[in-house]
This record gives sequence, structure tokens and C-alpha cells, in this order.
Amino acid sequence: MTIETLELDIRGQVCPSCLLLTLREVNNHHVALSEGRAILTVLVDSRDATSTIPAAVKNMGLAAQLDKIEDYYRVVIARPEERP
Amino acid sequence: MEASALIALITALAVGLAAGFFMHRSDFCLAGAFRDLFLFRDGRRLRALMLLVTASAVLFELARVMGALPSYPFPWFAPPAATNLIGGCLFGIGMVLAGGCVVGVLYKMGGGSLPAVVAFLGLLAGSALYAEIHPAWSQIAKASAWHDRAVTLPQLTGVAPGWWAAGLAIAGGWLCWRWWRQGLWRGPVQQAEGYLPLWLTALVLAGLGLLSVLGTGMPMGVTTSYAKFAAFIEKIIAPGHVAELTYFTAQPIRYTLPYGGPQLAGGGGPVLDVVALIQFPLIAGIILGALISALRLGEFRPRWRMPGRQVLMIFTGGVIMALGSRMTPGCNVWHLMGGVPLLTIQSLLFLAGLLPGAWLGGRLLLRLTTS
Repeated sequence: MTIETLELDIRGQVCPSCLLLTLREVNNHHVALSEGRAILTVLVDSRDATSTIPAAVKNMGLAAQLDKIEDYYRVVIARPEERP
Repeated sequence: MEASALIALITALAVGLAAGFFMHRSDFCLAGAFRDLFLFRDGRRLRALMLLVTASAVLFELARVMGALPSYPFPWFAPPAATNLIGGCLFGIGMVLAGGCVVGVLYKMGGGSLPAVVAFLGLLAGSALYAEIHPAWSQIAKASAWHDRAVTLPQLTGVAPGWWAAGLAIAGGWLCWRWWRQGLWRGPVQQAEGYLPLWLTALVLAGLGLLSVLGTGMPMGVTTSYAKFAAFIEKIIAPGHVAELTYFTAQPIRYTLPYGGPQLAGGGGPVLDVVALIQFPLIAGIILGALISALRLGEFRPRWRMPGRQVLMIFTGGVIMALGSRMTPGCNVWHLMGGVPLLTIQSLLFLAGLLPGAWLGGRLLLRLTTS
């Protein structure tokens, strides 16, 4: 099975638009994400979003992995079994 | 410079530096505290604010009993009026749309956020706008005043401040203890680099609030300075008009610093007065403290990537927030960290307006962001 990699770059945006836009993207692809057919990578530079996004997607039955990439953060969202 | 003025200046700068650093590390956003509760049922920051208010009430009361408070209640707090409520409501709407309150905007700017710069510009525009309506609004404020003497609940009720502070400490302390038992003070499982827990920053801010009172005679507050910045800019563009505006020409504040010196005057105009002496170093400190934090983490990287609609929303939020802060008068930091711990009636009315305002701001934000 091919896993589709989706990317959402919301660096430079205001809070809580980062979380709202991420939730919209997760909702749009929720079936593919929860069936393991897709992984969503979110790029953020808001420190707030580094805690709110993982907590919110966990409540939606998904898992998130947070990593710092240079001067911003990457949140990889997938179903718990696919957690990178 | 007088020694008392130097003490006030250094205290404000030091308080600002520490506040900016800690607020950036924890992302201690007071606008987010109310917004997230209404939008996401997330009470993390509001719990931290409750801890901050409780700790501040205890510290201020201890200082008062020990005779260390330069004045009680703090200067510039006045008897209540309906305008406190209206201003609080507008402030709540504005801070949610702007993505931060008047202090949040400062530490976020220091951290490299360009949305915060847009909000800052909105705050300047809103402050300039208020100067145009100030005479009319002052009349409304006078007409809607409902008590001419009592500033705090202890004064209104005749019950000693110690009893009120003890009640606040017991109620707030009990809530904080319950949240601790429920594990609600734990930080996020995955954290941003250099993250500091919200409870720690809440306690630090309570200590800084007391330090500010001891050194400058008053709690943290910044909003009159937004009006001053706006006035300085407007004076370059239209000096004749600035000279005609009562709000920019009047010096209604008379204030003597805690360590003596002459009585100083102050106001919202383009003058380096006592307001500038206390608030400018605090503002510079908050921005600088957050900048140091961001640079140490390698996270200072301004990016201009906002959609046009978001820019407009943030700027408008800044304008509304500035109008609210001048109409109240005061901001959420001034009222929640300085007034509420002393149970100042103005601040309680501001809070009563802030809650529905933040809710309404959240609904608007949701519509503007996701439609």
C-alpha cells in the first residue's frame, strides 16, 4: 500500500489559526489518516501549536510526533500504528 | 535623574526582561487563556492565570500587612463605572482576533512573530482613534459611574482586605490543589525546546508583579504607552491636530514614586513623563527578554506568510483591543494581575466584560479562519 504524504506549511501564521487549519486538514483527510493511507506533516513556528496540535489530534484517535527542524517545528500526524 | 526615578526605571526594565523571557518560554498567552477555554475547552492557561491571581493576592496582602506597599489600593485605579464593563468586552473581542493581548503582542514580537507586529500596529491605530473620541467617552464614563468613593470590594463592604485575601487564597488554593491532584499541571508530553511549565511562569509573574509594585509603586501595565507611541507618530504627521486633542495634551496623572522625589505628571500625550518612565522600560524589557529567549533557542525567524484576510483580522483586533483598553481604562495585565488580586471593582467589571468578549471573539475568529 502506498502511503500518501500530505504537507501543511503554516509557519508565520497567527494563533490559533495554526491549530484550526491543522484540524481542518485532519478532518478533510481523516479516513485516509486513520486507515494508514496518509501521513500529514505540519510545519509550524508557533510554540503554542507544538503542544496544542499533538493534544488535539490525539483526541481524534491519531498520533503526532514533534521534532525541531532548525528554527521551526515539524509535527507528523498519522494513525498510532504508523507513528514515525 | 533622581534616585527614585532610577530605581523605578531599573525595576521596570528588570521585571520586563524576566517576564518576556518566561512568557516566551511557556507561551503564557493571556488572550489564549480565555480563547482556548471557549474554542477548544482547553483550560491549561486559565488554570495558570488562576494560580497567578491567587499567588498575587497572597503576596500583595502580605506586603500590605508588613507595610511594604507604597499605596493601597494601587494608584490610577478609580471607582467603578459601566465603561469598565464595555471596555472589557471590546478588549476581549480584540485580543482574540489579534492573537494576543497588549503584553502577549510584545513578547511574541520579541520572539520574531510578524502577526504580533501587525497587532502592534493595530494597537497604535486604535489608540490614535480613541484620542478622537476621548472627550465624548469621558462624559459617558462620568455619567455611568455608580460609586464615587469605593475602589475595592473591601472598601465597598467595610470588610477588612485581609479577610477578602484569605477567602481568595483559600478558594484559589483549593482549586489549584485539586488540579494538581488531577494531574492537570503536567505539561505537554511532547514539548517545544526550552519549554517552561505554565505554573512556574505563573508564580514568577506573581513575584514580578510584587517587585513592580515595590520598585515603581504599581503593578505591570503598558497600554497608556501605546497611546503615547501613537501620539509621537501622529505628531510627526499632523502636529497641529495632535495639539488640538485633549487626550494627547492633558497631563491628568499626578504621581510620586515610592522612594520619594517630586510629584510627577503623566498622560497619554507625546511627552517623556512618569508614564514613559515606568512603562517604556517595561515594554522594552518584555520585548528584549523574549528576543533573548528566542535567540538562545535559535527560533528568531520572522516570516511574512499571513493571508490578506488574516492580516486584516489581526489589525482590526488590535484596533478594537486598543479602543477597549482606553475606554476601560487599562488592560488585562493591569486588571487581572494588579486589580483582581486586590478585588478592585473596576477590574472585576473589566473581567466580567472580558469573558463574553473573548467568547464572541472566538466565534468571529472561527468564522473568519475556517470559512
